[in-house]
Amino acid sequence: MQSNQYSIKVYETSIKDEAKFMTFFDVNYTLFKDHLIVIQGELSQTIKTYLEQKSLNYLHNVNLPKGRTRKALEKEWEEQQVQSVISQQIMESELSKLSDRLQNNLTVLDQMIRSGRELNIEGDLLLLNRVNSGATITTTGNLIITQLVEGAIRCYGNFMMLTASPKAHIMFHGVEVENEFLENRLNRVELKNSEIIITPVLEKEINWAS
Amino acid sequence: MGIVIAVISGKGGVGKTTATANLGLGIAQNGKKCVVVDFDIGQRNLDMILGLENRVVYDLVQVMDEEASIKQALIKSKVNANLHFLAASQSKDKTVLRSNKVEKLIAQLKQDFDFVILDSPAGIESGFEHTIEFADAAIVIVNPEVSSIRDADRAIGILDSKSQKVKEGKEVAKYVIINRIVAEMVQRGEMLKSEDILEILNIKLLGKVPEDRGVIDASNQGKPVILDKNSIAGQAYSRIAGRLCGQKIDMKDIESSDTGLFKKLAGIFH
Repeated sequence: MQSNQYSIKVYETSIKDEAKFMTFFDVNYTLFKDHLIVIQGELSQTIKTYLEQKSLNYLHNVNLPKGRTRKALEKEWEEQQVQSVISQQIMESELSKLSDRLQNNLTVLDQMIRSGRELNIEGDLLLLNRVNSGATITTTGNLIITQLVEGAIRCYGNFMMLTASPKAHIMFHGVEVENEFLENRLNRVELKNSEIIITPVLEKEINWAS
Repeated sequence: MGIVIAVISGKGGVGKTTATANLGLGIAQNGKKCVVVDFDIGQRNLDMILGLENRVVYDLVQVMDEEASIKQALIKSKVNANLHFLAASQSKDKTVLRSNKVEKLIAQLKQDFDFVILDSPAGIESGFEHTIEFADAAIVIVNPEVSSIRDADRAIGILDSKSQKVKEGKEVAKYVIINRIVAEMVQRGEMLKSEDILEILNIKLLGKVPEDRGVIDASNQGKPVILDKNSIAGQAYSRIAGRLCGQKIDMKDIESSDTGLFKKLAGIFH
Protein backbone atom coordinates (compact mmCIF):
# COMPACT_ATOMS: atom_id res chain seq x y z
CA MET A 1 0.00 0.00 0.00
CA GLN A 2 1.31 3.39 -0.90
CA SER A 3 -0.13 6.43 0.77
CA ASN A 4 0.68 10.06 1.31
CA GLN A 5 -0.21 12.41 4.07
CA TYR A 6 -1.01 16.08 3.49
CA SER A 7 -2.04 18.98 5.60
CA ILE A 8 -4.82 20.94 3.96
CA LYS A 9 -6.79 24.00 4.94
CA VAL A 10 -10.36 23.49 5.95
CA TYR A 11 -13.02 26.17 6.12
CA GLU A 12 -15.88 25.11 8.31
CA THR A 13 -19.15 27.02 8.22
CA SER A 14 -22.91 26.77 8.41
CA ILE A 15 -25.22 28.67 6.14
CA LYS A 16 -27.90 31.02 7.43
CA ASP A 17 -28.24 33.45 4.54
CA GLU A 18 -27.61 31.85 1.16
CA ALA A 19 -27.26 35.11 -0.79
CA LYS A 20 -24.76 36.47 1.71
CA PHE A 21 -22.80 33.19 1.61
CA MET A 22 -22.52 33.31 -2.16
CA THR A 23 -21.42 36.95 -2.20
CA PHE A 24 -18.82 36.20 0.45
CA PHE A 25 -17.45 33.31 -1.60
CA ASP A 26 -17.50 35.34 -4.83
CA VAL A 27 -15.47 38.12 -3.25
CA ASN A 28 -13.00 35.80 -1.54
CA TYR A 29 -12.83 33.12 -4.23
CA THR A 30 -9.03 33.22 -4.52
CA LEU A 31 -8.78 32.58 -0.80
CA PHE A 32 -11.09 29.62 -0.83
CA LYS A 33 -10.25 27.85 -4.05
CA ASP A 34 -7.63 25.63 -2.39
CA HIS A 35 -9.62 25.07 0.79
CA LEU A 36 -11.81 22.19 1.67
CA ILE A 37 -15.19 23.61 2.56
CA VAL A 38 -17.07 21.85 5.29
CA ILE A 39 -20.71 22.80 5.65
CA GLN A 40 -22.44 21.91 8.83
CA GLY A 41 -26.22 22.05 9.09
CA GLU A 42 -28.49 22.47 6.15
CA LEU A 43 -27.24 22.48 2.60
CA SER A 44 -29.69 23.47 -0.14
CA GLN A 45 -29.59 22.47 -3.80
CA THR A 46 -28.83 26.08 -4.78
CA ILE A 47 -25.66 26.15 -2.75
CA LYS A 48 -24.66 22.70 -3.96
CA THR A 49 -24.96 23.83 -7.58
CA TYR A 50 -23.11 27.03 -6.75
CA LEU A 51 -20.17 25.20 -5.16
CA GLU A 52 -19.99 22.72 -8.02
CA GLN A 53 -20.03 25.51 -10.61
CA LYS A 54 -17.11 27.13 -8.85
CA SER A 55 -15.51 23.68 -8.64
CA LEU A 56 -14.94 24.06 -4.94
CA ASN A 57 -14.38 20.90 -2.90
CA TYR A 58 -16.84 20.50 -0.11
CA LEU A 59 -18.12 18.08 2.47
CA HIS A 60 -21.45 18.13 4.19
CA ASN A 61 -22.04 17.39 7.86
CA VAL A 62 -18.85 15.60 8.78
CA ASN A 63 -17.09 15.39 12.10
CA LEU A 64 -13.62 16.79 11.64
CA PRO A 65 -10.71 15.46 13.64
CA LYS A 66 -9.79 17.83 16.39
CA GLY A 67 -7.22 20.39 15.32
CA ARG A 68 -5.08 21.91 17.99
CA THR A 69 -3.40 25.23 18.28
CA ARG A 70 0.20 25.45 19.42
CA LYS A 71 -0.97 26.67 22.78
CA ALA A 72 -3.24 23.68 23.24
CA LEU A 73 -0.35 21.39 22.32
CA GLU A 74 1.89 23.04 24.88
CA LYS A 75 -0.77 22.68 27.49
CA GLU A 76 -1.13 19.02 26.64
CA TRP A 77 2.58 18.58 26.94
CA GLU A 78 2.56 20.16 30.38
CA GLU A 79 -0.16 17.80 31.43
CA GLN A 80 1.95 14.95 30.12
CA GLN A 81 4.79 16.03 32.36
CA VAL A 82 2.52 16.11 35.36
CA GLN A 83 1.40 12.66 34.28
CA SER A 84 4.95 11.36 34.29
CA VAL A 85 5.46 12.63 37.84
CA ILE A 86 2.29 10.84 38.80
CA SER A 87 3.38 7.69 37.00
CA GLN A 88 6.67 7.81 38.89
CA GLN A 89 4.61 7.76 42.08
CA ILE A 90 2.47 4.92 40.76
CA MET A 91 5.60 2.95 39.99
CA GLU A 92 7.01 3.52 43.45
CA SER A 93 3.81 2.52 45.18
CA GLU A 94 3.48 -0.51 42.91
CA LEU A 95 7.02 -1.51 43.70
CA SER A 96 6.55 -1.22 47.43
CA LYS A 97 3.24 -3.06 47.21
CA LEU A 98 4.76 -5.93 45.28
CA SER A 99 8.01 -6.03 47.19
CA ASP A 100 5.92 -6.67 50.28
CA ARG A 101 4.90 -9.87 48.56
CA LEU A 102 8.53 -10.85 48.00
CA GLN A 103 9.27 -12.82 51.07
CA ASN A 104 10.09 -16.43 50.46
CA ASN A 105 13.86 -16.61 50.70
CA LEU A 106 14.43 -13.14 49.23
CA THR A 107 17.69 -12.21 47.50
CA VAL A 108 18.37 -8.53 46.88
CA LEU A 109 21.08 -7.72 44.34
CA ASP A 110 22.42 -4.44 43.08
CA GLN A 111 24.91 -5.58 40.48
CA MET A 112 24.93 -5.65 36.72
CA ILE A 113 24.24 -9.09 35.38
CA ARG A 114 26.74 -9.24 32.57
CA SER A 115 26.77 -11.40 29.46
CA GLY A 116 27.49 -15.06 30.12
CA ARG A 117 26.39 -14.94 33.74
CA GLU A 118 23.86 -17.57 34.81
CA LEU A 119 22.08 -16.70 37.97
CA ASN A 120 19.97 -19.42 39.59
CA ILE A 121 17.96 -18.14 42.51
CA GLU A 122 16.08 -20.37 44.92
CA GLY A 123 13.22 -18.16 46.05
CA ASP A 124 12.49 -14.52 45.26
CA LEU A 125 14.79 -12.00 43.65
CA LEU A 126 14.80 -8.21 43.73
CA LEU A 127 17.36 -6.94 41.23
CA LEU A 128 18.13 -3.24 41.14
CA ASN A 129 20.36 -3.24 38.08
CA ARG A 130 20.31 -4.21 34.44
CA VAL A 131 20.51 -7.64 32.81
CA ASN A 132 22.72 -7.53 29.74
CA SER A 133 22.33 -9.46 26.53
CA GLY A 134 23.63 -13.03 26.91
CA ALA A 135 22.94 -13.33 30.65
CA THR A 136 20.34 -15.70 32.11
CA ILE A 137 18.40 -15.42 35.35
CA THR A 138 16.27 -18.26 36.69
CA THR A 139 14.17 -17.88 39.83
CA THR A 140 11.97 -20.43 41.49
CA GLY A 141 10.13 -17.59 43.19
CA ASN A 142 8.90 -14.12 42.34
CA LEU A 143 11.03 -11.64 40.48
CA ILE A 144 11.31 -7.86 40.26
CA ILE A 145 13.88 -6.15 38.08
CA THR A 146 13.88 -2.37 38.14
CA GLN A 147 16.22 -1.75 35.20
CA LEU A 148 16.21 -2.81 31.56
CA VAL A 149 16.39 -6.53 30.75
CA GLU A 150 18.24 -7.49 27.55
CA GLY A 151 19.05 -11.06 28.52
CA ALA A 152 17.02 -14.17 29.28
CA ILE A 153 14.61 -14.59 32.20
CA ARG A 154 13.08 -17.83 33.51
CA CYS A 155 10.66 -17.18 36.33
CA TYR A 156 8.60 -19.80 38.16
CA GLY A 157 7.06 -17.58 40.83
CA ASN A 158 3.58 -16.17 41.23
CA PHE A 159 4.52 -12.93 39.55
CA MET A 160 7.35 -11.00 37.95
CA MET A 161 7.72 -7.34 37.19
CA LEU A 162 10.19 -6.02 34.65
CA THR A 163 10.97 -3.94 31.58
CA ALA A 164 12.18 -5.94 28.60
CA SER A 165 14.07 -4.70 25.57
CA PRO A 166 13.10 -6.25 22.22
CA LYS A 167 16.27 -8.38 22.49
CA ALA A 168 15.20 -10.04 25.73
CA HIS A 169 13.91 -13.60 26.02
CA ILE A 170 11.36 -13.87 28.80
CA MET A 171 9.76 -17.10 29.97
CA PHE A 172 7.22 -17.37 32.74
CA HIS A 173 6.44 -20.90 33.92
CA GLY A 174 7.97 -22.25 30.74
CA VAL A 175 5.75 -20.08 28.55
CA GLU A 176 7.46 -17.59 26.31
CA VAL A 177 6.11 -14.09 26.87
CA GLU A 178 6.09 -12.07 23.65
CA ASN A 179 8.31 -9.02 23.93
CA GLU A 180 5.68 -6.78 22.40
CA PHE A 181 3.58 -7.29 25.52
CA LEU A 182 6.45 -6.12 27.66
CA GLU A 183 7.39 -2.91 25.91
CA ASN A 184 5.94 -0.66 28.56
CA ARG A 185 8.14 1.00 31.12
CA LEU A 186 7.23 -1.59 33.73
CA ASN A 187 5.09 -4.69 33.34
CA ARG A 188 3.57 -7.08 35.79
CA VAL A 189 3.20 -10.70 34.70
CA GLU A 190 1.08 -12.85 37.00
CA LEU A 191 -0.28 -16.32 37.19
CA LYS A 192 -3.93 -16.20 38.19
CA ASN A 193 -5.94 -19.44 38.10
CA SER A 194 -3.38 -20.88 35.68
CA GLU A 195 -3.84 -17.96 33.32
CA ILE A 196 -0.92 -15.63 32.57
CA ILE A 197 -1.99 -12.02 32.91
CA ILE A 198 0.20 -9.17 31.75
CA THR A 199 -0.55 -5.70 33.09
CA PRO A 200 1.36 -2.60 32.12
CA VAL A 201 2.24 -0.77 35.32
CA LEU A 202 3.75 2.19 33.56
CA GLU A 203 3.14 3.25 29.98
CA LYS A 204 6.00 3.58 27.57
CA GLU A 205 7.76 6.88 27.97
CA ILE A 206 7.13 9.25 25.11
CA ASN A 207 9.98 11.48 24.19
CA TRP A 208 8.39 14.81 23.37
CA ALA A 209 11.59 16.71 23.23
CA SER A 210 12.90 15.06 20.08
CA MET B 1 56.26 -0.19 41.70
CA GLY B 2 54.58 0.09 38.39
CA ILE B 3 50.99 -0.50 37.41
CA VAL B 4 49.92 -3.54 35.40
CA ILE B 5 47.28 -2.92 32.75
CA ALA B 6 45.65 -5.71 30.74
CA VAL B 7 44.26 -4.74 27.34
CA ILE B 8 41.26 -6.97 26.67
CA SER B 9 38.26 -7.10 24.35
CA GLY B 10 36.60 -10.50 24.23
CA LYS B 11 36.03 -10.25 20.49
CA GLY B 12 38.96 -10.43 18.11
CA GLY B 13 39.91 -7.84 15.55
CA VAL B 14 38.68 -4.79 17.41
CA GLY B 15 42.14 -3.26 17.75
CA LYS B 16 43.65 -4.60 20.98
CA THR B 17 47.16 -5.01 19.66
CA THR B 18 47.10 -1.71 17.80
CA ALA B 19 45.88 0.03 20.95
CA THR B 20 48.56 -1.69 23.07
CA ALA B 21 51.33 -0.59 20.72
CA ASN B 22 50.09 2.98 20.51
CA LEU B 23 49.38 3.40 24.20
CA GLY B 24 52.78 1.92 25.07
CA LEU B 25 54.50 4.37 22.79
CA GLY B 26 52.28 7.23 24.00
CA ILE B 27 53.16 6.52 27.61
CA ALA B 28 56.84 6.37 26.70
CA GLN B 29 56.49 9.73 24.95
CA ASN B 30 55.22 11.10 28.24
CA GLY B 31 58.55 10.19 29.82
CA LYS B 32 57.40 7.07 31.67
CA LYS B 33 59.19 3.75 31.48
CA CYS B 34 56.85 1.31 29.83
CA VAL B 35 56.95 -2.32 28.76
CA VAL B 36 54.42 -3.91 26.44
CA VAL B 37 54.06 -7.68 26.72
CA ASP B 38 52.46 -9.83 24.05
CA PHE B 39 50.39 -12.47 25.85
CA ASP B 40 48.92 -13.87 22.67
CA ILE B 41 51.04 -17.02 22.80
CA GLY B 42 51.09 -18.79 19.46
CA GLN B 43 49.88 -15.79 17.50
CA ARG B 44 52.53 -13.18 17.92
CA ASN B 45 51.54 -9.84 16.37
CA LEU B 46 52.71 -6.99 18.55
CA ASP B 47 56.32 -7.27 17.35
CA MET B 48 55.25 -6.49 13.79
CA ILE B 49 53.12 -3.53 14.73
CA LEU B 50 55.97 -2.08 16.77
CA GLY B 51 58.38 -2.72 13.91
CA LEU B 52 60.55 -5.00 16.05
CA GLU B 53 59.98 -8.23 14.16
CA ASN B 54 63.62 -8.86 13.35
CA ARG B 55 64.85 -8.15 16.87
CA VAL B 56 63.06 -10.95 18.66
CA VAL B 57 65.53 -13.52 20.03
CA TYR B 58 63.94 -14.77 23.24
CA ASP B 59 60.28 -14.82 24.10
CA LEU B 60 58.01 -14.70 27.11
CA VAL B 61 57.72 -18.46 27.47
CA GLN B 62 61.49 -18.90 27.47
CA VAL B 63 61.78 -16.30 30.23
CA MET B 64 59.11 -18.03 32.28
CA ASP B 65 60.84 -21.37 31.79
CA GLU B 66 64.11 -19.71 32.81
CA GLU B 67 65.78 -20.48 29.51
CA ALA B 68 66.56 -16.80 29.20
CA SER B 69 66.71 -13.84 31.57
CA ILE B 70 64.29 -10.92 31.36
CA LYS B 71 67.18 -8.67 30.40
CA GLN B 72 68.01 -10.87 27.43
CA ALA B 73 64.41 -11.04 26.26
CA LEU B 74 63.46 -7.35 26.60
CA ILE B 75 63.72 -5.43 23.36
CA LYS B 76 64.20 -1.69 23.40
CA SER B 77 62.14 0.28 20.90
CA LYS B 78 63.96 2.07 18.09
CA VAL B 79 61.76 5.14 18.31
CA ASN B 80 61.64 5.73 22.05
CA ALA B 81 64.13 4.59 24.65
CA ASN B 82 61.43 4.47 27.35
CA LEU B 83 59.51 1.76 25.53
CA HIS B 84 60.40 -1.91 25.89
CA PHE B 85 58.84 -4.99 24.43
CA LEU B 86 58.55 -8.63 25.44
CA ALA B 87 57.51 -10.96 22.64
CA ALA B 88 55.14 -13.91 22.74
CA SER B 89 56.20 -17.30 21.57
CA GLN B 90 55.08 -18.02 18.05
CA SER B 91 55.54 -21.79 18.17
CA LYS B 92 54.00 -22.79 21.51
CA ASP B 93 50.36 -22.38 22.46
CA LYS B 94 48.40 -20.77 25.26
CA THR B 95 48.29 -23.86 27.43
CA VAL B 96 51.98 -23.49 28.36
CA LEU B 97 51.19 -20.57 30.69
CA ARG B 98 51.14 -21.28 34.43
CA SER B 99 49.76 -18.93 37.04
CA ASN B 100 52.79 -18.97 39.35
CA LYS B 101 55.18 -18.29 36.47
CA VAL B 102 53.05 -15.46 35.14
CA GLU B 103 52.86 -13.95 38.62
CA LYS B 104 56.63 -14.08 39.02
CA LEU B 105 57.28 -12.50 35.62
CA ILE B 106 54.81 -9.69 36.23
CA ALA B 107 56.24 -9.00 39.68
CA GLN B 108 59.71 -8.64 38.13
CA LEU B 109 58.50 -6.30 35.39
CA LYS B 110 56.60 -4.18 37.91
CA GLN B 111 59.82 -3.37 39.69
CA ASP B 112 61.59 -2.04 36.64
CA PHE B 113 58.80 -0.22 34.82
CA ASP B 114 56.18 2.46 35.55
CA PHE B 115 53.69 0.78 33.23
CA VAL B 116 53.39 -2.88 32.31
CA ILE B 117 50.88 -3.31 29.49
CA LEU B 118 49.70 -6.81 28.67
CA ASP B 119 48.17 -7.48 25.26
CA SER B 120 45.56 -10.17 25.84
CA PRO B 121 44.61 -12.78 23.27
CA ALA B 122 41.06 -12.62 21.90
CA GLY B 123 38.49 -14.91 23.44
CA ILE B 124 38.07 -15.83 27.08
CA GLU B 125 40.17 -18.97 27.33
CA SER B 126 43.14 -19.67 29.60
CA GLY B 127 45.40 -17.19 27.79
CA PHE B 128 42.96 -14.41 28.54
CA GLU B 129 42.55 -15.52 32.14
CA HIS B 130 46.31 -15.46 32.71
CA THR B 131 46.51 -11.96 31.27
CA ILE B 132 43.91 -10.54 33.63
CA GLU B 133 44.84 -12.60 36.69
CA PHE B 134 47.51 -10.27 38.05
CA ALA B 135 46.46 -6.99 36.45
CA ASP B 136 45.78 -3.87 38.52
CA ALA B 137 43.63 -2.37 35.81
CA ALA B 138 42.02 -3.39 32.55
CA ILE B 139 41.41 -1.44 29.39
CA VAL B 140 38.56 -2.87 27.38
CA ILE B 141 38.68 -2.14 23.67
CA VAL B 142 35.31 -2.15 21.90
CA ASN B 143 33.97 -1.28 18.48
CA PRO B 144 30.58 0.43 18.30
CA GLU B 145 28.70 -2.73 17.33
CA VAL B 146 26.58 -5.17 19.31
CA SER B 147 28.76 -8.29 19.00
CA SER B 148 31.83 -6.48 20.28
CA ILE B 149 29.84 -5.03 23.19
CA ARG B 150 28.43 -8.37 24.25
CA ASP B 151 31.85 -10.08 24.12
CA ALA B 152 33.38 -7.21 26.08
CA ASP B 153 30.60 -7.51 28.63
CA ARG B 154 31.42 -11.20 29.00
CA ALA B 155 35.14 -10.47 29.34
CA ILE B 156 34.45 -7.90 32.07
CA GLY B 157 32.30 -10.45 33.87
CA ILE B 158 35.16 -12.96 33.88
CA LEU B 159 37.61 -10.25 34.95
CA ASP B 160 35.36 -9.47 37.90
CA SER B 161 35.35 -13.08 39.03
CA LYS B 162 38.81 -14.41 38.19
CA SER B 163 41.18 -11.53 38.89
CA GLN B 164 43.55 -11.93 41.83
CA LYS B 165 42.71 -8.45 43.10
CA VAL B 166 39.00 -9.25 43.21
CA LYS B 167 39.75 -12.49 45.08
CA GLU B 168 41.60 -10.38 47.65
CA GLY B 169 38.50 -8.24 48.02
CA LYS B 170 39.88 -5.27 46.09
CA GLU B 171 38.59 -3.85 42.86
CA VAL B 172 40.20 -3.91 39.42
CA ALA B 173 39.98 -0.54 37.72
CA LYS B 174 38.17 -0.92 34.41
CA TYR B 175 38.22 1.49 31.50
CA VAL B 176 36.82 1.35 28.01
CA ILE B 177 38.21 2.68 24.76
CA ILE B 178 35.70 2.90 21.95
CA ASN B 179 37.67 2.22 18.80
CA ARG B 180 36.93 2.76 15.11
CA ILE B 181 34.12 5.29 15.48
CA VAL B 182 32.72 6.62 12.21
CA ALA B 183 31.00 9.89 13.07
CA GLU B 184 28.67 9.86 10.06
CA MET B 185 27.47 6.35 10.89
CA VAL B 186 26.82 7.26 14.51
CA GLN B 187 24.81 10.26 13.38
CA ARG B 188 22.79 8.15 10.98
CA GLY B 189 22.10 5.71 13.81
CA GLU B 190 24.00 2.88 12.11
CA MET B 191 26.59 2.68 14.88
CA LEU B 192 26.02 2.49 18.61
CA LYS B 193 26.33 5.76 20.46
CA SER B 194 28.95 6.07 23.20
CA GLU B 195 26.27 6.75 25.81
CA ASP B 196 24.53 3.47 24.97
CA ILE B 197 27.79 1.53 25.13
CA LEU B 198 28.66 3.06 28.50
CA GLU B 199 25.19 2.28 29.81
CA ILE B 200 25.55 -1.39 28.88
CA LEU B 201 29.12 -1.85 30.08
CA ASN B 202 28.91 0.52 33.04
CA ILE B 203 32.64 1.27 33.22
CA LYS B 204 34.62 4.50 32.85
CA LEU B 205 35.36 5.91 29.41
CA LEU B 206 39.07 6.34 28.77
CA GLY B 207 38.81 7.61 25.23
CA LYS B 208 37.28 7.42 21.79
CA VAL B 209 39.32 6.61 18.71
CA PRO B 210 37.94 7.48 15.28
CA GLU B 211 38.24 5.15 12.30
CA ASP B 212 41.37 6.10 10.41
CA ARG B 213 42.61 4.49 7.20
CA GLY B 214 46.17 5.37 8.19
CA VAL B 215 46.15 2.79 11.00
CA ILE B 216 46.51 -0.24 8.71
CA ASP B 217 49.38 1.24 6.77
CA ALA B 218 51.07 2.32 10.00
CA SER B 219 50.76 -1.23 11.36
CA ASN B 220 52.08 -2.76 8.16
CA GLN B 221 55.10 -0.50 8.27
CA GLY B 222 55.71 -1.16 11.95
CA LYS B 223 55.33 2.51 12.87
CA PRO B 224 52.45 2.93 15.29
CA VAL B 225 50.00 5.60 14.13
CA ILE B 226 50.66 7.75 17.21
CA LEU B 227 53.91 8.79 15.52
CA ASP B 228 51.88 10.48 12.77
CA LYS B 229 50.99 13.87 14.19
CA ASN B 230 48.38 14.45 11.47
CA SER B 231 46.48 11.22 12.02
CA ILE B 232 43.19 11.61 13.91
CA ALA B 233 43.54 8.13 15.45
CA GLY B 234 47.12 8.95 16.44
CA GLN B 235 45.95 12.15 18.14
CA ALA B 236 43.27 10.19 19.97
CA TYR B 237 45.86 7.70 21.26
CA SER B 238 48.06 10.60 22.39
CA ARG B 239 45.19 12.01 24.43
CA ILE B 240 44.48 8.60 25.98
CA ALA B 241 48.16 8.05 26.84
CA GLY B 242 48.18 11.50 28.46
CA ARG B 243 45.16 10.57 30.56
CA LEU B 244 46.86 7.34 31.64
CA CYS B 245 49.84 9.39 32.78
CA GLY B 246 47.60 11.50 34.97
CA GLN B 247 47.04 14.53 32.77
CA LYS B 248 43.63 16.15 32.62
CA ILE B 249 42.61 16.04 28.99
CA ASP B 250 39.02 16.73 27.99
CA MET B 251 37.11 14.10 26.06
CA LYS B 252 36.96 15.20 22.43
CA ASP B 253 33.60 14.84 20.77
CA ILE B 254 34.58 12.86 17.70
CA GLU B 255 31.04 11.69 17.07
CA SER B 256 29.71 15.02 15.83
CA SER B 257 32.35 15.14 13.17
CA ASP B 258 33.87 18.16 11.48
CA THR B 259 34.73 16.12 8.45
CA GLY B 260 31.22 15.79 7.02
CA LEU B 261 30.59 17.25 3.60
CA PHE B 262 28.16 19.78 4.96
CA LYS B 263 30.63 21.02 7.54
CA LYS B 264 33.35 21.22 4.90
CA LEU B 265 31.09 23.30 2.70
CA ALA B 266 30.09 25.47 5.60
CA GLY B 267 33.80 25.94 6.35
CA ILE B 268 34.38 27.48 2.93
CA PHE B 269 32.04 30.35 3.72
CA HIS B 270 33.58 31.24 7.05
